[in-house]
Amino acid sequence: MTDHPENRLLRPETLTAIGIVVVAIGFLFPTSELRSISALLPAAMLIGLIVLAVALLMMDQRKASSDAPPVAMTKSPKRVVSAFLLILGYALATDFIGFYISTAIAIPLVAFAFGYRNPLGLAIATLIVVGTIWAIFDFGMSQDFPTGRLWGR
Amino acid sequence: MYSDLLHALPDVLAWTNFAAVIIGVIAGIVVGAMPGLSATMAISVLVPFTFGLEPLVALGLMAGIYNGAMYGGAIPAVLLRIPGTPAAVATTFDGYPMAQKGEGGFALQVAVVSSSIGGIASAFALMLLAPPLSKVTLLFGPSEVFWVAVFGLASIIFLLGGNPVKGLISACFGVFVSVIGSDPIYGNDRFTFGQLEILDGIHIVILLVGLYALPPVIDLLETPLKTGVDNSKLGTEPIWKALPRMKYWKTWLRGSAIGIWIGILPGAGGSMAAFMSYNEARRGSKNPDAWGEGEPEGVAAAEVANNADTASALIPALTLGIPGTAVAAVMLGGLLVHGLQPGPMLFRENPDIVFGFMWQFLFGAILLVLLGGSLATNSFARLLNLPRPLLGSVIIVLMLIGVYSIHGRMFDVYLMLGFGAIGWVMDRLKFPLPPVVLGLILGGFAEENLRLALRIGRGDPMILFQNVTSLVLVALTIAVIVGPSLKKRYIDSRKKA
Repeated sequence: MTDHPENRLLRPETLTAIGIVVVAIGFLFPTSELRSISALLPAAMLIGLIVLAVALLMMDQRKASSDAPPVAMTKSPKRVVSAFLLILGYALATDFIGFYISTAIAIPLVAFAFGYRNPLGLAIATLIVVGTIWAIFDFGMSQDFPTGRLWGR
Repeated sequence: MYSDLLHALPDVLAWTNFAAVIIGVIAGIVVGAMPGLSATMAISVLVPFTFGLEPLVALGLMAGIYNGAMYGGAIPAVLLRIPGTPAAVATTFDGYPMAQKGEGGFALQVAVVSSSIGGIASAFALMLLAPPLSKVTLLFGPSEVFWVAVFGLASIIFLLGGNPVKGLISACFGVFVSVIGSDPIYGNDRFTFGQLEILDGIHIVILLVGLYALPPVIDLLETPLKTGVDNSKLGTEPIWKALPRMKYWKTWLRGSAIGIWIGILPGAGGSMAAFMSYNEARRGSKNPDAWGEGEPEGVAAAEVANNADTASALIPALTLGIPGTAVAAVMLGGLLVHGLQPGPMLFRENPDIVFGFMWQFLFGAILLVLLGGSLATNSFARLLNLPRPLLGSVIIVLMLIGVYSIHGRMFDVYLMLGFGAIGWVMDRLKFPLPPVVLGLILGGFAEENLRLALRIGRGDPMILFQNVTSLVLVALTIAVIVGPSLKKRYIDSRKKA
């Protein structure tokens, strides 16, 4: 009896290989519209990716048939997904409501969500980071940051 | 040949350039001391901030960070048995037992002196070997340059060990990213899908930050690590009092030679250098049984070698455009940001900058000793108490600022996050990342020279094989590809015999 009863096609390396093949085939369509000399390198790379991904898939399936465990992606998927979502949320917030407001919210929010719960520490760290960014980039280097699409600026 | 080296010295000693090295070393030690952060990640985050800076200030920061981080990795390795950087794994073997005996301070001082000696040796190797090599590469034409690029990619993929299929996928991905944008000869769009933002191609910094900075940040947030350190148990004394106790000249010489050699070899890196140096020093020791129980010479062997591969990794990077390590690959990206194309012409067109960069490596290595005194050691050890989630959130902000400031648009930030997600998956599935960067750097370079060579040869591909240099490079490429599997077969057959 196997210790890894899950679907063989759901192994991370197999899924990645399938993903590479699908995306590479997708990119081959616009490649066919290019001049032959312009298409030479991209076509070679895309075909290379397809061939290599198929090789990767076969290697992983061979491992699966010999009952080898799949590569472990993460011990805590919830934390990883939350981290990605918070980072994406921060980028979107910067785009839509502006850099300074988003940063002042994101720093304590991310730190708090991932285990640093000292309110004074969070407040001081946020103040130092936002203040330093303003002093160096905005005041010192006249760097413009996004002011927020929502406010029409 | 070496006169340019002396001419570059006054510029390096200008206070802004020298201050950049000092700041870089301190920042490098801080980054290296934080488990999960690395010199590669720090330089990736730094590169976009250096746009407006003079090249020598930017390069000084990078040289300082590289040197500092290699030593910084020893701090948690000694105090917590957690290597701050992959290159510091061998430092834990004797460093941690020393800390358990109350000699953590001395272990860190051995580490800083050894790191400094390794760094100095490496900087001298860079100064001595890179200029003559650059003279040779100046003779290369388009077909030779094309083969150099192919050799560079092949060597990174196949010498990196692990799985060549994954290495090749990484390289193909990098080369494919390099062709996005306008065609360099005809100007027609390739894979832009109407997005004007990528008409000029994908900026290397976006890829670097995404691939190298986002995955460690996710790691920082994923694993809450308790890293409290009690400084009272360090037992630190002033460094001048500790120096007479360090009589490891043989180990330092041997470790430096190993580190320099490993650094020059593409794809090897500091951890391999440290392991090899540690094993060789142990083999040569009169008392090998004491190793692993808190032998200071073990710390010296590991640290001298992992710093000796820093500047030497730039010998193939600066002369041929082939980086020896992941950090060197990121540094190539940093050079490109300042309009400095690594390769033969770099030494002819920008001697002051390239030779200045070499001096900065030397000064960075010397500064390590001055910054690693007892007060500094205690202060740097306190860094381990910084909360990781807070650190992670600050790095996210820095990443966003860095990428946004390239062109002042959020599109680049979203692109960076996309590359970051790809980088995280690649990192977890053990796809090597340096071939992606190298593919991006060398892909366009190879294509341009291939097409130039074909034009010269009026479309005849035989022009690529028409001179001895090209044939030697083809032979080297084949050797690099076939060599590891032949070696494996040879070892297997000997084991069976």
